[in-house]
Amino acid sequence: MHIAVLAKVVPDYLVPSMDFELSNNRAHERFSRMLGLYDENAIETAIQIKEKTSGSLTLISYGSENDIQFLRKGAAMGADQLILVKGTSDDAAVIAGNLMAALQSIDNVDLVLAGQQSADMDRGVVPGILAQMLGVPFIPQIGDVDHENGSWTVTQITAQGKRELEFSGPGVLSITSIPENVPRIPAVRAIFAAKKKPVIKLESTDQKKMALNELEVAIPKIECVCEFIDVEDPGQAVRILLNRLNEERYL
Amino acid sequence: MPRIPYWNIDYGIIIDLLAIPVAIVFFYGLYRQWLLIKQGKMRVIPSIGNMIQGIGTFRLKAFLVRGILNARLYRKPASGIAHGFVFWGMVILFIGTNLVILNILFGLPVFSGGFNRWFMSFMLDLAGFLTLVGIVFFLVRRMIPPVRLRLPEARKGFVPVSGLLGLILITGFVTEGARIAAAAGSLEAGAFVGNFLASNLISPALALEIHAVTWWVHGLLSLGFVAYIPYSPLVHIVLAPVNVGFADPAPNVKMGVMDFSAFENEDAEELPALGANKLADFTRKRFLDFSSCLWCGRCQEVCPAYNTDKPLSPKGVIVTLADRLASGKLDESLIEGISMDAIFNCTTCAACMEACPVSINQPKTIMRFRQNLVMEQSRIPELMGKAVASLEQRAHPFFGTGSGAAEWRKDLDVPIFEPGQTEYLLWIGCSVAYEQRAQKIGRAMVRILQKAGTSFGILEESRCTGDPAKQMGNEFLFAEIAQQNIEDFSALGIKKIITLCPHCFNSFSRHYPKLGGEYEIIPHGSFIKILMDEKKLNLVRKDQLITYHDPCYLGRRNGIYDDPRTVIAGVGGLVEMPRHRNESFCCGGGGGNYWAEELGSRINQQRAGEAMETNADTIAVACPFCLLMLTDGLKKHTEETKIFDIAEIVAASMV
Repeated sequence: MHIAVLAKVVPDYLVPSMDFELSNNRAHERFSRMLGLYDENAIETAIQIKEKTSGSLTLISYGSENDIQFLRKGAAMGADQLILVKGTSDDAAVIAGNLMAALQSIDNVDLVLAGQQSADMDRGVVPGILAQMLGVPFIPQIGDVDHENGSWTVTQITAQGKRELEFSGPGVLSITSIPENVPRIPAVRAIFAAKKKPVIKLESTDQKKMALNELEVAIPKIECVCEFIDVEDPGQAVRILLNRLNEERYL
Repeated sequence: MPRIPYWNIDYGIIIDLLAIPVAIVFFYGLYRQWLLIKQGKMRVIPSIGNMIQGIGTFRLKAFLVRGILNARLYRKPASGIAHGFVFWGMVILFIGTNLVILNILFGLPVFSGGFNRWFMSFMLDLAGFLTLVGIVFFLVRRMIPPVRLRLPEARKGFVPVSGLLGLILITGFVTEGARIAAAAGSLEAGAFVGNFLASNLISPALALEIHAVTWWVHGLLSLGFVAYIPYSPLVHIVLAPVNVGFADPAPNVKMGVMDFSAFENEDAEELPALGANKLADFTRKRFLDFSSCLWCGRCQEVCPAYNTDKPLSPKGVIVTLADRLASGKLDESLIEGISMDAIFNCTTCAACMEACPVSINQPKTIMRFRQNLVMEQSRIPELMGKAVASLEQRAHPFFGTGSGAAEWRKDLDVPIFEPGQTEYLLWIGCSVAYEQRAQKIGRAMVRILQKAGTSFGILEESRCTGDPAKQMGNEFLFAEIAQQNIEDFSALGIKKIITLCPHCFNSFSRHYPKLGGEYEIIPHGSFIKILMDEKKLNLVRKDQLITYHDPCYLGRRNGIYDDPRTVIAGVGGLVEMPRHRNESFCCGGGGGNYWAEELGSRINQQRAGEAMETNADTIAVACPFCLLMLTDGLKKHTEETKIFDIAEIVAASMV
């Protein structure tokens, strides 16, 4: 069993809005860089499958060489090797094309996992485009993944509930966070071992861009409007808060 | 009539000769204890030190004060005094017995004159009587035991050995009474118990027969008792003082720093185990801890986790380990038996250690399990895991905070530390930078320092010492963060640091020096006191009652109790909570439990309730974590804002 996980190194996704700042239309470089939020859930899911099936795990990323130090965390968590495709584009089609090239450079990948969406752009489109390029099924928002008798059983998590799906052969899944895939804190031995794990660096290949132009990037102005929910019962307060957030389309 | 050795006894020398095999059995028992303890790992032994202080890691003062004089036992007066009766009574009786032997062997004139009257008669009777009183107390207490003795498990073996000792004392008195009664009506000066028995209970007609029988019974039981000591819980007579002597001289838990260089070494054949998962991972000192434990439960009684229905009992942990050690199960995993919840529920407040009469280091044992879970097994409660991940990624543990690193000083003109220009680094730390309520501590301290004209500066961007990682068991991450900080401090030429958080103070003063970072560290409360002493602050003393909550990492761990109190007394009236100073109760946030979902009832609510009961107008703290925990805990009791850091209280009193 060989699983590939797509991971992206992003600026700190928890920087408070008030503190956020741009530089050349992207997050300021002073912000710490780290593995994407859902990407870590995908890595954890993959490690669990790897542990169950005695398989192997390759972490694939598209970015700069500086990202390797952050990708090592994935190796410390349990990935066997890293592949970095060097590139700077943030066009989803270009990224997907380069990731496909990386996948094709390794043999017999049984399953491709990715985070549900990147933690910087929140688009969640790359895995879908990649699946289309590979000609395999793409299933988003997956919680559990099981492998039995040569086929995959996956659970798709939505706001309304769960849906179980089954497919055979390779596929691309985007992983959401569930209590069972909370990313592990790498053990110290694994951190040191990760330093020795192979890193394959690939040059990016020419890929067709999507037909769109970036016109403007702006940070919304934050306005604080405070409203107190004046009820005694915390449970009721939470229900009211959730309703309000839903009504205002924050959720 | 002077006492004559072996009076009324034929072949009495047999008792003395039997002492030789008894001594062999006794020392063999101790040797078996040593064999148990020897299975632990060796500690690094420093070179022979100052003989007045101690020899190597053995501390004479601690040995004498806590080991022999049992200073901590008397914190519980009833059992302390009873123990004192038994211990000192037995010491005096032991001396008396040896004087008798010297009399037999060398004719030492102990049975004549005032010495006979006051020591050999009166003192020995008094010692025996008080020992008997103590024994009766302990026997009754074993029959009606307090919870701390009963739960989670009572140590067996005390009743037979106490009963045996009581019997020895009684037969000793009966022998003495029979001897006096047989002496045709003349009582023995000073021997008040023997005289009482001779006058009231022992028939002169039977005295000789009684004497002959009880002399042998007393002698044989005494020998049996001595031989039995190392095989019974009474082995603590030997182990406890030794354990105290080997206890770390620094106040409370000192986890040290770990060396990870072996992991870098590609040629290393075997990598060291990180933390402890099984008994074999512990040192000899910890084995001595487990063997010395009397299961008295004093640790459990003061434990904040135990007292709020969490699955942790420090006594339970030590009992489990002592049981396993006694049964030789050195290589079985212990963590499941103790439970991961229990291991992470420890707030590392060190109240258990402070209460322990025999200086057992319960928190260190628990922390070693935590280290193993985190660094070897990647197992950590989810919220703590997020805090650790945040520390690793962002150099602070406040994941999901709404604050940026510089928000705490918004609208304030705070100087940045300038190499060669600034005297003190005001270390902001993580909680003050990232937690909205705690930010006010930093702002207040800046106002105080500016008012006093102190040369100080901050780092461009606040960060953490790494202490939360250390507390949660991730020593590796702590070492990485600490080394980075030390490098940066060296580049800036930082020598003096004012801390706002006792956890930072503890890290800087205890752990950083071992990694090469030596600085003059001063907690903000102590620095404010200095400023007050130097009349650099003009304060108005308000008509307000203030109670002070001792932060564990400032008080118990570092012995700083008075400075914050002096500061508070300068701005209002100080009123103490029932549990204060070294007996203070934790806020619940220590040991990384600030990032925990509490099981059972909440520690912070209990402590805030204690503070409320003082009827103080203000509850003062000297730790941002205590501030945050108690502010939250107080919500159960009142909607008033009553909890402030001492810096906030002082800043509000400045004119």
